[in-house]
Amino acid sequence: MSEYKRGKFNFEAPVVNGRPAEYRHVGKYRVRADARDIVTGRCMFLDDFSVPRMIYAQILRSPYAHARIKSIDTSRAEALKGVHAVITYKDMPKGWTLGWPPHKDLLDQEVYFAGDPVAICAADTVDIAREALHLIDVEYEELPAVFDAIDALKDDAPVLFPGKFKSGTNEVDPGVPHFQPEGPWWKVEGGDVEKGFEECAYTGEAMVEFNKMCSPNAPEAPGCIVRWEGGVDYTIWASSQSPFICKLFNAPRIPKSNLRIKTFNVGGSYGNKQTLSVTILCCAIAAIKTGRPVKLVMSKSEQLIGHEQRLGSKIHAKIGMTEDGIFNAVQGCWYVDTGALCDAVQGQVGVGLGEAQLVMAKCQNWDLDSKVVVTNKCPAGIVRGYGGQELNSCLARIMAHCMMLADKDPIETFKKNYVAPGDRYTWRDGLTWQSRGSDHYPETMQLAADKFGWKDAWKGWLKPTKVVGRKAYGVGAGVIGNADVCEDNTQCIVRIQHDVKGRGATLIVQTDITESGMGQRAAAAKFAAEVMNVPIEKVYVTEPDSLNNVVNFGLCGSRGTVTVGKAVTKAAADAKRKVLEMGALHFHCSPEQLETKDFQVFVRDNPQKCIPIKKLGPKDLNVIGYGEHVEQFDIPSCCLFLTEVEVDLDTGEVKVLRFLQGTDIGQIVDNRMVRMQLQGGVGSASLDTATMEECIYDVNGTGKMLTNSMLEYKCRTFNDMPKHASVIEESQLDTFMFKAVGIGEISGAAGASAVLMAISNAIGVEVNEYPATPDVILKAIKSKEGK
Amino acid sequence: MVKESVNLTINGQPYEFLVGEKFGMIPPSETLVQTLRKRLELTGTKESCDEGACGCCTVIKDGKAVTSCMILTVECDGSDIVTIEGLEDPVTHELDPIQQKFIDCYAFQCGYCTPGIIMSAKALFMANPHPTGEEIREALAGNYCRCISHYTVLEALDKLAGVESDQYEVVKEAHEEDE
Repeated sequence: MSEYKRGKFNFEAPVVNGRPAEYRHVGKYRVRADARDIVTGRCMFLDDFSVPRMIYAQILRSPYAHARIKSIDTSRAEALKGVHAVITYKDMPKGWTLGWPPHKDLLDQEVYFAGDPVAICAADTVDIAREALHLIDVEYEELPAVFDAIDALKDDAPVLFPGKFKSGTNEVDPGVPHFQPEGPWWKVEGGDVEKGFEECAYTGEAMVEFNKMCSPNAPEAPGCIVRWEGGVDYTIWASSQSPFICKLFNAPRIPKSNLRIKTFNVGGSYGNKQTLSVTILCCAIAAIKTGRPVKLVMSKSEQLIGHEQRLGSKIHAKIGMTEDGIFNAVQGCWYVDTGALCDAVQGQVGVGLGEAQLVMAKCQNWDLDSKVVVTNKCPAGIVRGYGGQELNSCLARIMAHCMMLADKDPIETFKKNYVAPGDRYTWRDGLTWQSRGSDHYPETMQLAADKFGWKDAWKGWLKPTKVVGRKAYGVGAGVIGNADVCEDNTQCIVRIQHDVKGRGATLIVQTDITESGMGQRAAAAKFAAEVMNVPIEKVYVTEPDSLNNVVNFGLCGSRGTVTVGKAVTKAAADAKRKVLEMGALHFHCSPEQLETKDFQVFVRDNPQKCIPIKKLGPKDLNVIGYGEHVEQFDIPSCCLFLTEVEVDLDTGEVKVLRFLQGTDIGQIVDNRMVRMQLQGGVGSASLDTATMEECIYDVNGTGKMLTNSMLEYKCRTFNDMPKHASVIEESQLDTFMFKAVGIGEISGAAGASAVLMAISNAIGVEVNEYPATPDVILKAIKSKEGK
Repeated sequence: MVKESVNLTINGQPYEFLVGEKFGMIPPSETLVQTLRKRLELTGTKESCDEGACGCCTVIKDGKAVTSCMILTVECDGSDIVTIEGLEDPVTHELDPIQQKFIDCYAFQCGYCTPGIIMSAKALFMANPHPTGEEIREALAGNYCRCISHYTVLEALDKLAGVESDQYEVVKEAHEEDE
């Protein structure tokens, strides 16, 4: 790769032979502090924890997709020995309402999806609570249900929440104040679309669906323990990936409450276990009614039918491309199915629309609308991405059609159209931002294509790479990026706590990060250790807790690297500055002449002049530094996804043989962690969404989800993993001291469309249906043969 | 004959439980994972899908990997059970080579499914110290991981078995970084 000089900061690594010298920690694999606990089973997850006098809640869930409770009798359940409370909509105080705008009461006389809570039972044991649920007598009046966003907008559709939305229909109000403080934004507009299309030589128009609302299905089911402390105070232990977000969203839903959220390691989340509102509110009301701490961990089946799934998406759009391969006009509407609850999905739509502009960044003519719609399905929300994958996976197929008409190589087209420094786009806050991201993306894409062997494998549109017997092979590509990587404000305090004996100390990094798999707690430790020049084993990152820590939104939108990185490095640098100033007084020199290593201060040109930090300041007191990051949206990330598939022309079976991602992340923070972030992107998304994963509803019968267990819900297993490779460039981005950006959220996001492109090329006909299961492929092959 | 007690050896320690419905007794409906987690506080074994489909609750029973959510404790009378807590040497605290390799190769992300994966792998290596790559992959096919740590898990186990694979890119292990 090209040579890059690291930017200037006070604690810059020295330059050796024109290249930056190696960092002590940054870039290297450093073992996570919790590694030994994880491999020995000592690592604590929510369900491993309990508090004194704790009882257990279980939830009775609706068997109908839409119904009114005609009568409910809890007397038999209440009489069961060991039962402390049975709570129905009749027992609920006002104001316990979910969604934005608030539209769905926690418990209601009406139920809106098969799995919607009907009653909560709290008892001495889980078994007793479950037995009590069977003793609740409910009579339902079934109501008409709707299972599709476009159907839900028709005149004859049942209106699920009358009076709750301004539309008077199932269309949810656009905008969400937290993400769009300047006012609602839900539409990309600009230029002259009609004229834009006139300038185009090629246009594609289609309705593409990414609508199977796949389940993220984290191994650890959502759960919490709520202890009501009396008055307004609640202590909540939750399997949430972000204590701060959990508090932010749930405090308004428990009227007059002050929540303290604590978390343990979280057993997978993928953005999906953050607010846990239904679970937490159920426990909170049970805790109030019983005066006991209440625990609830969902069963796997409850998680599949009642926790959040991926947003449903149907997009009707027209995209135009000029003769020289520039996307020049986009017109369409994105119908977003949010299931029976819209919990700030408008923010996801904002990000999705933003990401669409990054891949067609030269386009000046936009009319891309969106409608968020409620239906009688499991609520939908965040899953490995924040709206971007859903929209990109659909628009990419229409973009591919344009490229096919023009006979343009997709890699060349992506390189031309992807956002470059100086290009402008509207982000999810509704404001216009100008990119100051990498100018190295086109080169990165080419390096990735070269490593993949694209030139030899790409034979043209709808042309297989090769056919061997009845097996056809094809390659595909997709690209995506995200400007959320610097989102949300964050703070950090770094403290040097001296050892009681000896010359050493512990570096305490106080910021609110939950470990849910990304390793960002280790990255925070690494950043602090690098600045202070100490062993990483001597860094302690505080336990996640919304009360004890300064503000950190946690790890979402790949924000951890930049925002935590900036706050931690600034705090550590602040502490180091104080240390050097104290050292300067001691050695009668300037702070610039001093350096630190392993909690000692020494004179750079005379290292024998050395003193422990401990001896510099007032006795016993910690040296404290502070740092913060303030939200910005001007550094878009980028990931190119290349893949090769094998299609069995007789059975329609698809095997993904290999995939390769190409990205420029500025600077590798951890050599192994970054690869896992690239690999992780293909789970509960991407490859599996393209080939096998779907939530199936019995829409013509009971309205229930049929894929309600892990035996029914299909996903990729250990013996079915394709080959993985990557190209990771380090162009030293202007983000924070260590010049990196996060990549996990988008690493697999362009994979689904890349797989469909590869399948289409292998079999010689466009396939635009997710997932491309054998029946879809055989149907496509047949349609081609019929022509 | 009604069984009145169950004898188990767990991580080398003998245990005798009374069977029955009274307080403190093991009811016939209790699964092994419940006994391990709730009675012995061996919480390294995770209870996740409760239908034998995810492998998070895998333990070794009489030398074989089993999903402990699918076995009743009363069925285990006389069995020798090893859980994730039983792999580390209790005196020297030295880790099992599989555990150590998982750390060296960073073969986990959230870590929730890791104990089950390690126990499946341990059972494989106990029965077959030199498995092929294919045997390793088959042995883990019942272990669910959603973070996609598959590649580093396979790297760790391939290395232990002496298998070479081009399925993933090999980068430095922890101890190689500063060498």
